[in-house]
Amino acid sequence: METVDRIYDKLSRMGMDEIVINGVSSDVEQLRFSQNSKDLLNQWYENEYSVFAARGKRIAEITLKSDAEIESRLDELRNMIEKIPENPSFFGINPKKETYGHVESGSIVDTDIQGLCESAINGSLEAGSKRSAGLAYLVRYTHILKTSYNEAQYTGGGTELVIRSFSGETSGQESVHYGPSFRPGSIDAESVGRAAGEMAVSGNNLSTGEEGKFTILMSPYLIGNIISSSSEFLSYYSVDSGMSCFAGKIGYKVSSESLNLVDDPLDMSGVGYRPFDEEGTPTRKNVFIENGILKRYMQSYSTGKKSGTESTGNAGIISPGAWQMRIEPGNRSFRDILSEIKDGLFINNAWYTRFQDYRNGIFSTVPRDGVFRIKNGEIAGSVSGIRISDSVTNVLKNVVEMSKEMKNTKWWEEIQPSMMPYVLVKDVNISRSF
Amino acid sequence: MPGELIDRIVDYASGISRFSDARFMAINSKGVAYRNGEFEGMESSSTSGYAIRLVNNSMGFVYTDSEDWQTVREKIDLLLPATKRIGKNRISETDPVKDSWKVDQKKKIEDISVEERIEIARRSDKLLESLGVAVRMNYVGDKKVVQSYRNSDGCSIDAEISRVSYYYVFGVFDGSQFEQSTGQFGASSGYEYLDSLDLEERLRSEVKAMKENLSAPALKPGTYDLVIGPEISGIVAHESCGHPTEYDRIIGREGALAGESFLTGKQFPYRIGSEAVSVIDDPTFNMSYGHYKYDDEGVKARKRYLYRKGFTDEFILNRESAAMLGVEPNGGGRSSSWNMEPLARMSTTYIEPGEYELEELFEEIRSGVYMKSFTEWNIDDIRFNEKYVGKESYLIENGEVRGRIRRPTLETNTVKFYSSIDAVAKDLDFFAGNCGKGEPMQGVDVWMGGPHARLRNMYLK
Repeated sequence: METVDRIYDKLSRMGMDEIVINGVSSDVEQLRFSQNSKDLLNQWYENEYSVFAARGKRIAEITLKSDAEIESRLDELRNMIEKIPENPSFFGINPKKETYGHVESGSIVDTDIQGLCESAINGSLEAGSKRSAGLAYLVRYTHILKTSYNEAQYTGGGTELVIRSFSGETSGQESVHYGPSFRPGSIDAESVGRAAGEMAVSGNNLSTGEEGKFTILMSPYLIGNIISSSSEFLSYYSVDSGMSCFAGKIGYKVSSESLNLVDDPLDMSGVGYRPFDEEGTPTRKNVFIENGILKRYMQSYSTGKKSGTESTGNAGIISPGAWQMRIEPGNRSFRDILSEIKDGLFINNAWYTRFQDYRNGIFSTVPRDGVFRIKNGEIAGSVSGIRISDSVTNVLKNVVEMSKEMKNTKWWEEIQPSMMPYVLVKDVNISRSF
Repeated sequence: MPGELIDRIVDYASGISRFSDARFMAINSKGVAYRNGEFEGMESSSTSGYAIRLVNNSMGFVYTDSEDWQTVREKIDLLLPATKRIGKNRISETDPVKDSWKVDQKKKIEDISVEERIEIARRSDKLLESLGVAVRMNYVGDKKVVQSYRNSDGCSIDAEISRVSYYYVFGVFDGSQFEQSTGQFGASSGYEYLDSLDLEERLRSEVKAMKENLSAPALKPGTYDLVIGPEISGIVAHESCGHPTEYDRIIGREGALAGESFLTGKQFPYRIGSEAVSVIDDPTFNMSYGHYKYDDEGVKARKRYLYRKGFTDEFILNRESAAMLGVEPNGGGRSSSWNMEPLARMSTTYIEPGEYELEELFEEIRSGVYMKSFTEWNIDDIRFNEKYVGKESYLIENGEVRGRIRRPTLETNTVKFYSSIDAVAKDLDFFAGNCGKGEPMQGVDVWMGGPHARLRNMYLK
């Protein structure tokens, strides 16, 4: 806190109108494994201070790591502020005096990370897989925020476990995260590994997929990937920039009526938990799509002012973003939904989602880690070589229903922390290679 | 002074480990952006610290930004017990080198004013506005890296690396029709590189292409001869040659993340294409955005043929994957920052130019497609099943480039792609990119490129 205060005091003396300092001190441990054995242990000990300052509409941001850098880095910040033009779209930071909760993460750092990975590997082997790769994270950090109007602090953290298992040419993957409300011992790593292994060994009768429109039962990982990749379209920054397929659609139907999409950073079961945003606005559960209707965009104080609305607690001051997206569950089980698919696909995961048209949400993504043809409610074989080539708007409008089961999903850069059910979507366009 | 502990760290670590190394990096980067006529703001980040590796019965890294010796030693001691546990511990050691090097700059990054950076972004924004582009973002960035590497074998490398970059994204409308374009240029250089780009001409040409795309017809699906431009040669070389020849992927180490390789389990050399195709990765390529003299593990960089005349040749190796293969590392160990492990990475990856004049590629084509650049693309995790959507694209009829076509799509596989190449032109061009890999994700600066090339009988949609 002393470093934050020193930064703040110096910026105040420099005559900055508004100041935001986010200081994060973190201890992180990661174990990586492949071919069923340990590759590497990584341990990080870091401090970083992100400093935002405004003089009128002139804004600049710097980072620094220690007290020793304060003088030189803040002098550079002042030099920048004095020489840059105004940002006409900047309307200030959250000026309201706020109150926040305070959260401790418990004894996450005491978890045996090697035991966690070994349990996952063993679970996968017991399910019949041949080999697994993956990693586990143990994260503990303290986040200190000081703005011209507010001060806040919390200690957070969590655990992540990723395992991908292989059996011949097929694979299965589970990628889970556990936030501050989980406690050591409550993580069933063996079950996570078993699920990945079972998915890998389920792949048989491998054949090249067909092109066309298919009913797809999307796993929490696949829908998590699509929502993560398109969540920025719900940010007012993208809308204002002219690069969002949701521009001009507030109050209009953007998905089937069965879909409810929220951002819930206060759900402590996930690592996306955070009590305040980057300018000190308390976070909250926001409904973005309710019964198919687009309700709002993600806003900071400044973008809210520009668009005539209020912050949703999603700052980034300039570019608001999602914290922890969730599609609300349905009433029926995954198995019941699967059993009613006459001819379709079940896809467990995807990666490399890329857009050719932000404005119309046109994208493609590559299925992996369990891709199955479903006929008369049964797995009829594994499929390779296909690609989902469609648009976000089509996928959302063609949602049929959600399962009652939910998973905490997070994987690499592909899936942001989220909670997702299985989602049944009709008429999804599938393409393949020739 | 930041970085001054590095020799002390290796002295200490070498006494408690079979092999150890330490890398200090101080990275200062700056960026400015214009969005739709408005100055967005300026950012300047500064980060520095040590990556310290201990190899005993297994391997571990500790990353710390502390410059206090007692604190650093304490963190090393905390890592030590974990490296006594059983795990993978093979690492390739090399003859120690002592050297220092730096990137030459004419217009030095450290001498460029705030106003000069802003003016480059503002000028591009204004130009695009004058051309009727409604949606536009222009970003100018640079970074200066001061780096030291030491290891327990006596290797000692110091480096100063300067890189500049320019990035744009813009979009043009016609009713609900939208065409977007992104472009990235970068080099290991001072700001003289951006002066040499002729950005104005590049942007004018790109805007014209995107506007004409709005009313261009779609391609009738079918089998065509295909001519690809250097931008597509580059992305293909990167995605379906560079990545699958990273040896850490072949042995499964990236299996849960960026994936493995279609080359896993193959006998080498393995045929991947026609004799016309060779692909090179060369970190020593002067001014490349991925240029370096020594990699981030103190190994001297050199040119490597990844595919040579249609067969696999060398793999990209860091110290760890070289040990798995039982050979010397070849300078492929790269890390994006002090707090990231070095992985087997590309630098400057390109299809080797051939003997053909550009016009010769078109002359023999009766019905074809010229795909000059790409928009959406992706590839599966073993780098085999890939897709490229044409951005600036034309029909070819009886040897002549005709009217534009909109977003022709090639979905194919790596062996089919390289096997279909029958002619490679003499030209060569490069494009900058940030290649992602590892966990946490590391984006490293790369160039990718190549010449024009002709592929026979490709199914396009």
